[in-house]
Amino acid sequence: MDIIIQALINGLLTGSYYGLAALGLTIIFGVIKVINFAHGSLLMVGMFAAYWMVRLTGWHPYAALIVVVPLLFLFGYALQGILIKPILEGQRDVREPTEVIIVTTGVWYILDNLALMIFGAEYRVVQTSITGQIFMLGDYIFPKAQLYGLITTAVTAGLVLWFLKYTKTGMSIRAASLDRDAASLMGINQYRVYNIAFGIGAMIAGIVGCVLIPFYYVFPTVGVIFDVKCFIIVVLGGLGSIPGALAGGVIVGLIESTFSQYMTSTWTELIVYVVFLAVLFIRPAGLFGEKRDW
Amino acid sequence: MNTGIQKRKKIDTTLKVLLALFVFTVPLWVTSPTTLQILIFLFLYAYLTTTWNLVGGFAGVLPLGHSAYVGIGAYASTVLFISYGVSPWIGMWVGGLIAAIVGIIIGIPTLKLRGAYFALSTMAFGEGVRVLVENTMQLGPFNINGPRGICVPLIPGNNIAAFQFLSKVPYYYIILIMLCVVLFITWYISRIRPGYYLAAGGEEPEAAQSLGVNVAKYKVWAMGLSCFLTALGGTFLAQLALYFYPKQILGLDFSFELAFIALIGGRGTIAGPVVGALILRPVSELTRIYLSAVLPGLHLVIFGLVLILVMLYQPKGLVGPLEKLYNWFLDKVSGTEKEVRT
Repeated sequence: MDIIIQALINGLLTGSYYGLAALGLTIIFGVIKVINFAHGSLLMVGMFAAYWMVRLTGWHPYAALIVVVPLLFLFGYALQGILIKPILEGQRDVREPTEVIIVTTGVWYILDNLALMIFGAEYRVVQTSITGQIFMLGDYIFPKAQLYGLITTAVTAGLVLWFLKYTKTGMSIRAASLDRDAASLMGINQYRVYNIAFGIGAMIAGIVGCVLIPFYYVFPTVGVIFDVKCFIIVVLGGLGSIPGALAGGVIVGLIESTFSQYMTSTWTELIVYVVFLAVLFIRPAGLFGEKRDW
Repeated sequence: MNTGIQKRKKIDTTLKVLLALFVFTVPLWVTSPTTLQILIFLFLYAYLTTTWNLVGGFAGVLPLGHSAYVGIGAYASTVLFISYGVSPWIGMWVGGLIAAIVGIIIGIPTLKLRGAYFALSTMAFGEGVRVLVENTMQLGPFNINGPRGICVPLIPGNNIAAFQFLSKVPYYYIILIMLCVVLFITWYISRIRPGYYLAAGGEEPEAAQSLGVNVAKYKVWAMGLSCFLTALGGTFLAQLALYFYPKQILGLDFSFELAFIALIGGRGTIAGPVVGALILRPVSELTRIYLSAVLPGLHLVIFGLVLILVMLYQPKGLVGPLEKLYNWFLDKVSGTEKEVRT
């Protein structure tokens, strides 16, 4: 029983940073209706930025947020403004232009392989002040770095929801995601809203980068692992849904941690795919998705 | 005026006949096995992207898991050959049938979904198949050897029944004929009624449905046919390489490459995938050969740049501007004007 509870704890902790990674993706989809295939690569950029910050300054990994968050926001803002905007402008009447998937995949190839050329293929780790530390609650172990990750996920999701609900920019983002034409008629600059939404998505990928640094390897293709996971999580939870992304992340985390008690961990990956396909067959909108999105 | 048009037609036909002659006589004067191998792979990619195009181009969706069907073809024919000595020529049809059935089962629920959902679910399916194969040593009576992959047992000498040849020339002609056949199938489908339904459903699903076209049905059939033909290509790949493993033949990269060659060439056109393979395969081969030692990954950076530039400036693919160039050339040579031709 103890083992099961510990596995559930581990699943929740892992699932929380999966959910955070998927959160950025789902926000971008919710507003712009495009899948950002470069999301994992943005996460990789965030991880490398955090890695070098910690490595060079010796700061706490969460202090690196001060640099990584604005950096990734600007990166995402520029990416949308320069590469994706021309496609959206050219295909106004198409709801989900596939060209965007291809362009973002191009960005993925470029970023991952630039990182490979600059930093080499080796797996890097950095010793931070919270690496390897644990927190005990009764008999159960909580690795500190992952516990902080869980808290960061909750805080980030809360802030994003607050931002979307109560700020003027947030309201215009929601308006544009509901009906882009009507929003434009109300005087909302559609493309500026898209830039901001993409920036927020990239920024969250940067936050995940800082969360992961104390306990995860950094290498140029680290994003691919998260890419495929995030795609599964957002579809599981419902594309565009913020609670869906978090719930989907926790579900995937729990599947991985509990099933690995009974079978080799490579099989758990297969179970995730099977659950994913089963959800698609039974409820294509995902757990929290809206019908109009599929 | 009329003579100009006749002359133009004559030059057009002559050029096409010359091209066909050229392609079919290559092995007579190219003796280097390396060059032939590169050409064989080029045609194989053209073949696989053309079959991808049946669903990815004409049905207007974006399948990103087609390597699963290549793998099904390769594994089916090879395990049948190893376990029961069934000739790969027969095994390839078995693989094709399995792939078609799997493709239809996957297609029925997913083809009703919007673009993003379809792309992601096919991708997840492809990855699921890879993980399944990597974790399975024994599938029923067949030994599929998990992540280490399978070697096709060598039969000494040229053996037509075993689909194994010492020289590259037979492989060249087999894949060339296969390519011609799928190009003919694509051409034929594009001018019969279901082909029109398919294209209509791909471009404007709501409009097509309101006119009484059962869009989902035609898409599912296209998916089945595409998967069937893709698996035949998988058997060819297995017999050509004689060794394959899940990460390569069922990998995400392979699926993506097939999709992107078609998209860069021009999805939904007959010549697009061939043009895409003709342009991209040499680019990726040459950059890999000459640049990967100096800067690993540079060839993929270039590949990514090409993808972005084509999508920004020629979102319909490169086949359009090339066709324009060819027409301009014909006009120039035969002296016809644009107005006359219309």
